Amino acid sequence: MDVFGQFSLLLAFVCAVYAFLGGMIAIKTRHPLLVKSTRQAGIATCVLIFMATFCLEYLFFTDNFSIAYVVSHSNRDLSTFFKVAALWSGQEGSLLFWTFLLSIYIISVLLVYRNKNGELMPYVGVILAGVQIFFLTLNNFVESPFKTLGALNANGTLDLVARADGNGLNPLLQYPEMVIHPPNLYSGYTGFTIPFAFALAALLARYPGEKWIHLTRKWTMIAWCFQSLGIMLGAHWAYAVLGWGGYWGWDPVENASLLPWLTGTAFLHSVMMQEKRGMMKVWNVWLVFCTFLLCILGTFLTRSGIVSSVHAFANSQIGPWFVGFILVTLTVCFVAYVKNHDYLKSENRLDSVVSRESGFLFNNLLFLVACIAVLSGTLFPVFSEWFSGSRISVGAPFFNKIMIPIGLALLFLTGVGPLLAWRKTSGESLKRNFGWPLLAALVGGLITFVLGYRAAYSLFCFMLCGFVFWTIVLEFYRGAKVIAARTGMSLIMSAHELAMRNTRRYGGYVVHFGMVLIFIGLAGASFNKDVQQTMNLGDSMRLGTYTLVLQSADAKAEKNYTADRMIIEVLKDNKEMMMLYPEKRKFAGTAEQSGTMVAIYSTLREDLYVVFAGQDPETNLPVIHAFLNPLVKWIWLGGVWVVMGTLLALMPNRRAALVLSDASQPAASPVAPALNPSITLREGHD
Amino acid sequence: MIRSRAANGIREGSDVSGARLHEKTFRLCCVLALLLIAALGVLPLVAQQQQAERIKSIGGKFLCMCGCGQILTQCNHVGCTMSAGMLKELGGWVNRGDSEDAITQSFVQEYGTTVYAEPPKSGFSLVAWAMPVVYFLLGLGLVVVVITKWRKPPLVAAGSVGHEGVSEEVMQRARAQAARDTED
Repeated sequence: MDVFGQFSLLLAFVCAVYAFLGGMIAIKTRHPLLVKSTRQAGIATCVLIFMATFCLEYLFFTDNFSIAYVVSHSNRDLSTFFKVAALWSGQEGSLLFWTFLLSIYIISVLLVYRNKNGELMPYVGVILAGVQIFFLTLNNFVESPFKTLGALNANGTLDLVARADGNGLNPLLQYPEMVIHPPNLYSGYTGFTIPFAFALAALLARYPGEKWIHLTRKWTMIAWCFQSLGIMLGAHWAYAVLGWGGYWGWDPVENASLLPWLTGTAFLHSVMMQEKRGMMKVWNVWLVFCTFLLCILGTFLTRSGIVSSVHAFANSQIGPWFVGFILVTLTVCFVAYVKNHDYLKSENRLDSVVSRESGFLFNNLLFLVACIAVLSGTLFPVFSEWFSGSRISVGAPFFNKIMIPIGLALLFLTGVGPLLAWRKTSGESLKRNFGWPLLAALVGGLITFVLGYRAAYSLFCFMLCGFVFWTIVLEFYRGAKVIAARTGMSLIMSAHELAMRNTRRYGGYVVHFGMVLIFIGLAGASFNKDVQQTMNLGDSMRLGTYTLVLQSADAKAEKNYTADRMIIEVLKDNKEMMMLYPEKRKFAGTAEQSGTMVAIYSTLREDLYVVFAGQDPETNLPVIHAFLNPLVKWIWLGGVWVVMGTLLALMPNRRAALVLSDASQPAASPVAPALNPSITLREGHD
Repeated sequence: MIRSRAANGIREGSDVSGARLHEKTFRLCCVLALLLIAALGVLPLVAQQQQAERIKSIGGKFLCMCGCGQILTQCNHVGCTMSAGMLKELGGWVNRGDSEDAITQSFVQEYGTTVYAEPPKSGFSLVAWAMPVVYFLLGLGLVVVVITKWRKPPLVAAGSVGHEGVSEEVMQRARAQAARDTED
């Protein structure tokens, strides 16, 4: 099976090269057969990659310990669930997984647009094949996941050998989130290839800027949604597994995932300027280029060993390949831009500084500053070593100091943006729109002050959250009121109808609401408390209103690990409440591997987070580290709202559906004017 | 008689008030003594608490050197071979009464500059702090320039050459081509 997998990968490489070179010739000659043949080569490439990936999974499921990668990342006792995740637990497999996810996108694009966009698609196909060639080169010739174990025999030739069992999966990865977090994050990374391909194709084909935006809007949102979900799941994994009491440590790998998310978010906002006003075409093209390049750069940072990180892959030789690919891509983008930028002629006219256009400009400014600040902070240790000879670390305190003000400014703009009108906002409208939200900000601040959350940044954050929340409520309320007046529906049903009529706009507001919840959760971090104590049986420790009593300890043996478990009784205000069971697990495998299982009691107000931190080396007694982390649950809830909002934004508008329905059924009774205000072809967005 | 009674009364009164004064003084002394005893008992606890807070505060400025990239006082991941030793060292220096600068010097001498959780605000490290501000100011400048440019009325009449070499006619053709070729 490994030979089959390897051969599939090699054949996929050949097909990708054909799709690339044939596609370029097809662009020149416009020969329909060649166009069709290169498109089918693109589809064949994807199918072959799927086959290779399934081969590797098959090798995991059948415990084929003659394959080096399987030996390194699995063992017989590993559950089927985690054998799926073992695919992306190491360098070689995760690179193949990357290629696999990229191929899902590519085959979708090639099939969805197989009879559409005849002029543009050959360019898109060539660019996508170019990206595939890069990853297939790594899969085939640099980091092949199908390497077999061998031993020299007496004749000096290699004999295949198989091990009895594997080393097992890294314990940190043996958690449910690790089965879903990397696929989501990788889907985000790879998904940005599609808007990149369309943007570059449109530039190469000298298409005026609007079209590629329309074509790729949904692909961009899908990638962004996966990226957001991947980041949230990663944060939750860090919180629940690493046992340090936090969810975001500004680790280089975390930063690498945030960079394309920041530029992607900037793009999702600035694209509205192009659609609505025909502005910022050049900017949008470069934002998409940068987002894609940051995805590749993030992968380079994670895999090259250039920056140290707790969850980066070990040092490898693939760094120069990524640098080369980034340079080639950047050169192609730059040359394409220089040659064809005249076709990105914008209609840049700003009627007033106080307008939504300005809001978007500042929004983009902040996203970009955030992105570059995170990037330069992440790379600063490398730069400092180059320039001063000593490597200077840049940790969480630095990023917090830089990013908190930027984050708050962005939160402020999240509230202000929807209150500003396109073109020009009058003073009267400002007064009318800002009154209630400002009052909500004051009330929000007052409530949080009374509740005891009094750190300056946090208090300001809560006020801004109140402000943004109210602007969202007002947006829904005003629209719903009109529909309710026209249709007689209840306000809630009208709000639902409103959201379904303009899914993109109101989906966006739902995403903003999710961000408000996330910011509330983040603001809670200022009030974290923790206590660490060596405890004998019967000892207690106090943390806030909780008392933790170590009742007993036991050990349990599971198939793939043994766990030492602490049994802790939790009392709140001296009343018995519940039991918590933090664990320390020792996993089977040749290497000595262990992991924690944090016990969390989570409420909307706070998380009681208890870690069995090991044994005191002197007394051999268990050490319990307990944290009281306020408002953390709001972050996860916010993440859910962000995803729901994006899904809503991806849905077709109900109004558009009505129009289509009318067109296909001319005999049907016309829609009442009240239900059908100003039908236009352009999808609503604001 | 009345005077002597009154005088006696005054004397009796003064005796009573004197006794009360003694009693009050005695009580006050007792309270002060108790407070002193309590303070003597509590002081070490307070000092211990202060030292623990100092360890936490200073430890928050360094990274654990196990490679996890976490703040020293937050690193407790299983299998960490460094944080316990580093915290012990830190505790020793704090108990000895070393200043924060001296502790920082000791850590840097032992582990190198990678031990800093954030770049120091001196020397080359200042660049790290300055960069975000520079980015923001540059970006802000760019936004101001863009807004100023966009606020100016168009200089070129419609229908004439819009951008270097590309006429409006060519643009229209390109748009029409794009509209034909691309379907949403």
